[in-house]
Amino acid sequence: MATVAPDHYRAYTPQPFTRAERDSVTILFGGLHWRIERILQAVLESSGYKAQILPVATKDDLLTGREVADIGQCCPTSFTTGNLVNFLKKEARQTSAEDVSKKFIYLTAGSCGACRFGQYHQSYELALRNSGLGAFRMFLMAQDNLDQNMGDGLDLNLGMTLGCLWGIFCTDLIQDLEYQVRPYEVLPGQTEAVVKESVEYLYEVFRHRPAMTPKKSVLWHLATPYFARAMREVRRKFSEIEVDRLRVKPKVKITGEFYLQTVEGDPNYNIHRWLEAEGAEVYPAAITIWMDYLLRLGLQRFEDYSGVEKGARLKLGLGRLAQGIYRLTVNRLRRAMGNLPHEIPSQFELRRLAAPYFHRNLDGGEGDMLVGKSIWAFQKKKAHMICELSPYSCMPNTMSIGAMAGVLGKFPEILYAPLEIKGDAEVHALSRCQMILTEAKKRAQREFDDVLARTGLTVDEVRAYLHAHPEMRKATYRIPHDGAAAGTAAKLVLHVASRMGRR
Amino acid sequence: MGLLGALGFDPRNIVFSSDTSEEQGRQFGKGRGTVDCCYPVKCMSGHYGELVFGQKQKLDILLSPMIYTLPSFLSGHVAKTLTCPRVMAAPENIKAGFLKEGDAFAENGIRYCSPFVSLDEPLIVPKQLFEGMKDALPDLTREEMARAVDAGYKALHAFNDKLRKKSREVLEWCAREDKPCLMVVARPYHMDPGIGHEIEVDLQAYGYPILWMQYFPIDADLMDWAFGDDVRAGHVKSAFDIHDVWQSSYSSNTNEILWGAKVAARIPWIACVLRMSSYECGMDQPTYSPVQQIVERSGTLFFSFQDLDSTKPAGSVKIRVETITHYLEKYAADIINRKKAAMPPGCPLLPAA
Repeated sequence: MATVAPDHYRAYTPQPFTRAERDSVTILFGGLHWRIERILQAVLESSGYKAQILPVATKDDLLTGREVADIGQCCPTSFTTGNLVNFLKKEARQTSAEDVSKKFIYLTAGSCGACRFGQYHQSYELALRNSGLGAFRMFLMAQDNLDQNMGDGLDLNLGMTLGCLWGIFCTDLIQDLEYQVRPYEVLPGQTEAVVKESVEYLYEVFRHRPAMTPKKSVLWHLATPYFARAMREVRRKFSEIEVDRLRVKPKVKITGEFYLQTVEGDPNYNIHRWLEAEGAEVYPAAITIWMDYLLRLGLQRFEDYSGVEKGARLKLGLGRLAQGIYRLTVNRLRRAMGNLPHEIPSQFELRRLAAPYFHRNLDGGEGDMLVGKSIWAFQKKKAHMICELSPYSCMPNTMSIGAMAGVLGKFPEILYAPLEIKGDAEVHALSRCQMILTEAKKRAQREFDDVLARTGLTVDEVRAYLHAHPEMRKATYRIPHDGAAAGTAAKLVLHVASRMGRR
Repeated sequence: MGLLGALGFDPRNIVFSSDTSEEQGRQFGKGRGTVDCCYPVKCMSGHYGELVFGQKQKLDILLSPMIYTLPSFLSGHVAKTLTCPRVMAAPENIKAGFLKEGDAFAENGIRYCSPFVSLDEPLIVPKQLFEGMKDALPDLTREEMARAVDAGYKALHAFNDKLRKKSREVLEWCAREDKPCLMVVARPYHMDPGIGHEIEVDLQAYGYPILWMQYFPIDADLMDWAFGDDVRAGHVKSAFDIHDVWQSSYSSNTNEILWGAKVAARIPWIACVLRMSSYECGMDQPTYSPVQQIVERSGTLFFSFQDLDSTKPAGSVKIRVETITHYLEKYAADIINRKKAAMPPGCPLLPAA
């Protein structure tokens, strides 16, 4: 029998983070990809905070997460819990647990349902306590509000929020272009170097955003050419990369659970880089699209309540306006990049496509968007294959994947690879992916051969044309997508044929 | 039944699938699963299959609502009352298994009807059910549905009140006789004999009254006695506030489980808590430690049956039931006395002196 205590159990409530501590306390954060993390660091620093990015989670972190918290956690939580604990333990070895608790706080994303990800206060607390770090302060930032017990140390004001948002837009666009360019770069490593340079450049851009009142900050972010100018500079940096787009590669669209589709490292078997190494062109999942989905999901409540609750229509109208501004802003920055990064799909179109298979209001993970994106990518020839990353024990994702059985019944031609990511069953997951990828490679080659046959061009003729038009060998040359082919090489042949008057 | 009766359905024409069983899954659900998930969702293939293939008289409509929020006695005191993400989406998932190789519903002359419904938002329920059921019931009007929803809620409240009243009688008997009872802290589907495996029935056979957390009496006098000190001390805002033990209170059944643990920790005659959890239940997983700590910190016995699946682990259940009863025989009186001493005077379960 357990020992009886004189008082009742109370949940973990960290000591507040106060304004007076801002100069001495470092905010730890992580769990996204390195580009956006670096920009978020700039935003935090420009607002007067000390900020440090946690290292990318590793398999050791997974094992620690499983060891120190409750059994049966979903895979992302095991990674993130272990990641935090290992970092803190390493720091504590150099100083002390008490010092670490004073020096750092951890800020992480929670959720407000339906997924259990937002319910991990106690699991984190258990992990920290089991690691001798019971006094450490950890705060969950839900999708719609900040941890209530946080104190006045972190002022998540409008300027900072907008900075984070614009940071997401800019780094999503860079990541998208990076993945379009790297598989075709003539000089290996050049893309990597340009991306690093571009992110460091953006770090300075965000670090030196002018400080202003909330109202001015909104107007400034919406109207300023500051970020578009920066993205034009990024485009200029990319223009130095020479590419050979005649390499036939299957295009693989990444979808799935938010953490796994975003992070790049052990938590998802480094799937982005693995796919590239296996000869694919990766179409990454943008955080911007996920946030657009959350906006749509939130507004659906007002759609449903229209005619039932007073004011719902007005709120819906205002919400739609905000959604429109959101998309306009992203498109403005995309235009500054020469419209090279992929466009963000219409949430209404994704919803319409998914409707027969998954109800739009079922939330928690990526809901109907996961289903809609797969059909969208297939029907619009955005990719040859869908690689869907689902964490082991993820509750909402399993439901969307289950519904995909109905989609595949209707569209058996979709090359769909749902991977259950456990962190420690890499060979199994990757070999499963490889089977579908082999089919995707065949499909990409077939598509390329068909295009050559259709246009009557040979590879040598296309190559000669590109040689005569050096601007087309630049990474920033835009090949239009008209839905006739999914592969970059096939699209290039069609484009050359158009320019030569052969199509 | 309240809703369907008010819509004019003859009760004789309403067929419920039978209790969950392995046989049901084998006979009717085999090959229909689309993903590996928790048993309470997985077993739905068997239920669907039984209704589609296992009826002597063919059905016209298969009704399987996607329930988004649940009416809860904690509503207004917690952030949200959402269902689990798997439960709410289960109909879409299970449906896919009956569509992937042809439309099994249409082939059997059945209209599949799966309205999305937020049961904890009564204002919108008539609209949701009308939209979701109008294709299956072509003559249905919005007004009819509104009346039927009203009747449905009345039936639900009457049922809840009846069971809460019964639970209070049990508690009053325990208090009067100073006898222990057990409280089951689990999800509603554990009341299904094929999912909860009737573990609590095995314990009841030893003479211990069983209470289900979902139907615990919530009368003001009892709540004030149990939680009044916490409210006055500022730990919680009301008897139904759980933020002192659980901060992310958006999942309805999780909230109720946490509240159940709190109330069990305070009521002296609940000498033992029985926790049930199904295999791969993600919503239960983060609650394992807090629930156990809430209960055990008060000195109440805590026994947990986790990872329940399709097969009843009869041997281990028998051994554990014997262990539980042994502990109850040995410690129940001490537990009751100790918990009574920690509670304020004036217990409303006892006759006024």
